[in-house]
Amino acid sequence: MRNQSNDVILRMENIVKCYGSLIANDNVSLHLNRGEILAVIGENGAGKTTLMKVLYGLEHPDKGDIYLNEKKIQIHNAAQAIANGIGMVQQHFMLFDPFTVTENIVYGKEPKKGLFFDLKKANQTISELSRKFDLPLNPTTKIQGMPVGLRQRVEILKVLYQNADIIVFDEPTAVLTPQEVHELLNTMKRLAEAGKSIIIVTHKLNEVMEVADRAMVMRLGKHVAYRNIADTSIEELSFLMVGRHLVETEIPEISPGKDILRITDLCLTRDGAVPILDHISIHVNAGEIVGIAGVSGNGQSDLVQCIFGLQKADSGQILVNGKNVFNCPVKEVRHSGMAMIPEDRFIWGSAAQASIAETAIMGHYEKPSFSKKGFLNIRTIREFAGKLVKEFSVKADSIAQKTSSLSGGNAQKLIVAREIRQNTPILIACEPTRGIDIGAIQFVHDCLVEKRSEGAAVLLVSSELSEILKLSDRIYVIYEGKINGEFKRGNVSEEELGLLMVGSKKL
Amino acid sequence: MNINANYLAVVFNSTIRMMTPILFVGLGSALCNRVFIFNIGLEGTMLTGAFAAIVANYYTGSIFISLLAAMISAMIVSWIAGIFMVKFKGAMLVVGVSINMLISGLTTFLMQIIFGVKGAYVSTDLVPLHKIDVSMLKQWPILQTMFGSLTYLDFFAFILAIILYFFLFRTVTGFRMRSVGINKVAAQSLGINADRLQIGTVAFSGLLSGIGGCLLTMGGVTMFAQNITAGRGYIAMAAATLGAAHPLGVVAGSAFFGFAQSMANMLQNSSISSQLTMALPYLATILALAIYNFAQIRRHAL
Repeated sequence: MRNQSNDVILRMENIVKCYGSLIANDNVSLHLNRGEILAVIGENGAGKTTLMKVLYGLEHPDKGDIYLNEKKIQIHNAAQAIANGIGMVQQHFMLFDPFTVTENIVYGKEPKKGLFFDLKKANQTISELSRKFDLPLNPTTKIQGMPVGLRQRVEILKVLYQNADIIVFDEPTAVLTPQEVHELLNTMKRLAEAGKSIIIVTHKLNEVMEVADRAMVMRLGKHVAYRNIADTSIEELSFLMVGRHLVETEIPEISPGKDILRITDLCLTRDGAVPILDHISIHVNAGEIVGIAGVSGNGQSDLVQCIFGLQKADSGQILVNGKNVFNCPVKEVRHSGMAMIPEDRFIWGSAAQASIAETAIMGHYEKPSFSKKGFLNIRTIREFAGKLVKEFSVKADSIAQKTSSLSGGNAQKLIVAREIRQNTPILIACEPTRGIDIGAIQFVHDCLVEKRSEGAAVLLVSSELSEILKLSDRIYVIYEGKINGEFKRGNVSEEELGLLMVGSKKL
Repeated sequence: MNINANYLAVVFNSTIRMMTPILFVGLGSALCNRVFIFNIGLEGTMLTGAFAAIVANYYTGSIFISLLAAMISAMIVSWIAGIFMVKFKGAMLVVGVSINMLISGLTTFLMQIIFGVKGAYVSTDLVPLHKIDVSMLKQWPILQTMFGSLTYLDFFAFILAIILYFFLFRTVTGFRMRSVGINKVAAQSLGINADRLQIGTVAFSGLLSGIGGCLLTMGGVTMFAQNITAGRGYIAMAAATLGAAHPLGVVAGSAFFGFAQSMANMLQNSSISSQLTMALPYLATILALAIYNFAQIRRHAL
């Protein structure tokens, strides 16, 4: 246990923030002790991000005060937050790819020599800083091509360079491999020992249990509880977060049928030289969920795009029930019996300006029930969309509202609903639960398992290892476009997978 | 037409005179590119500068005030355009084209009101930009031809390119400008007022285009004609693109177009039809951009 005093460094009192009629923060209060790690947990839309935005000056509260060292302060923008010693490691990294590590870190507080930018001194300072906090980095490397873990390290050093006493981590582990997560949690502990006060915003409770001293639970814009980690459990925290007990997804035992999707020697090179996919051979049987584990950027996106016809591969074979759909147009692939939940719900999965009803039939509008001779059958479409919204409990005022007005989790539910209700023998699910909250994750998982029980073949691509491990009957590990291992359920641990994902040879 | 050293010297000299107005505007365009602003309004702000220079000269007879008027007027117009583009998030193309059309009509209209002429206003009463005395080069007639009848501004254009190079790549402000072009959201999250930086850059590019315009009307012959810029603002944008928005690259890009322009002027005295020779600089622009983009695509493909 760290030597934490009960010396309060930060207090946020009765913060109220409304967006129109939506109350994002309803009289929320928070206090942070010096040298402690406080976890702010809650489902998406619980208001934790809003609260942090208020703290970092990105949003202005309608009511409420912020006290730093018991002195009232005003934070109108990020620059003022930084000046007050509040730093934020954002979920989406704020980095300039063509610039070096140093240039990124000293940004906004650059050392000068006369009129000029003193890059030499800057590099030196960063070397020292990186040594002092034991966060090794080469100051002159460019960000371009850096792995996510290192990018995050740059972000952390940036905050340290700005001399922050309070460091906010916003969903910091969402994009990391298990090893990187482990390292990050250690870094956070070290920083707390060095006297920094840390707030971690997350919904991953096992990480909270490992690293935090205290947790503040938010639900529907209110703070519902504070708990000392020593006196609580994952079960209690998840109950407080969701407001009900979650029932674990049950995965019934079924024996898989014949292979419905079989991919042989699929190859893709970029610009005729760099191999992106290197002789990938995988298959998915009926009644089976097959997971593809990998650090994002190792070819899984390209693999899915090649299977689905969104990208042309160089060579190989993609058999759907024995019929080759290699390099066929998307429409043909869909007709052959494939559906897909795309990895980015707003880029690939929906059109922001389209209504919920329109989103509900995207990709299927040509089916005779939805359109005849080029005219849409509005009534059936509305009925269908209404049914989906109800059945999958998508939180929306009406099916006429824009897709962009849905929260991430609800948009995802809608897309999952659309792809599952097409009743295809094959479903490809890419990052089906990225950035959605526990309740919704549970729901999507149940849907995938149900699909499997109906005898469909499900290919699950996810950077969330726990998800892969929980759902998959078989797991392939992908590394640099190659399959680096295949396992049956229960034959591999998270650590082993993590190692294979970063390229270590067979165990 | 016989090609000899003297002839080449004349071409060189003419290329310089043709390229420097483009260079000023091109540098402005490069700065805009660096902060991710597609400022097509430079054609209009250049015209603003050209016109303001003539008017100020007409009333005051001072070339200094003339230059100042060109800079300030063009900067103000550009600043307004910048506010529309950045603050009100107007489509850059639409804002730029509107500025160009507005200024084109306004200058033509004001020319009739102030000078009482249509088409063009020429007067020997106007005081041109000072020419640099090259009599110390009289032992080398070739050099004298090469560098003769150039104004201080012509020389300054090259110095400015070097200054801007250091500014962009060695100073903190330049560093931040480049960063805004790369990732504006990140810059803002780090407490940089990116909007102000972008608007400031657009305003400054207007100021530079004003100098370019002034050089156009007050350099060689002191005259103003309807739409005297004749697309030089667009050509300057092409020069900035060819120069990869690098100040020294813009010098090379401008030199290319200056050369094309000077060849067009020279060939007017030949038997080739003048419609064709006048089209030369524009054909060169299209060709150069096509080749440049093709090379870029090839390079990315490798």
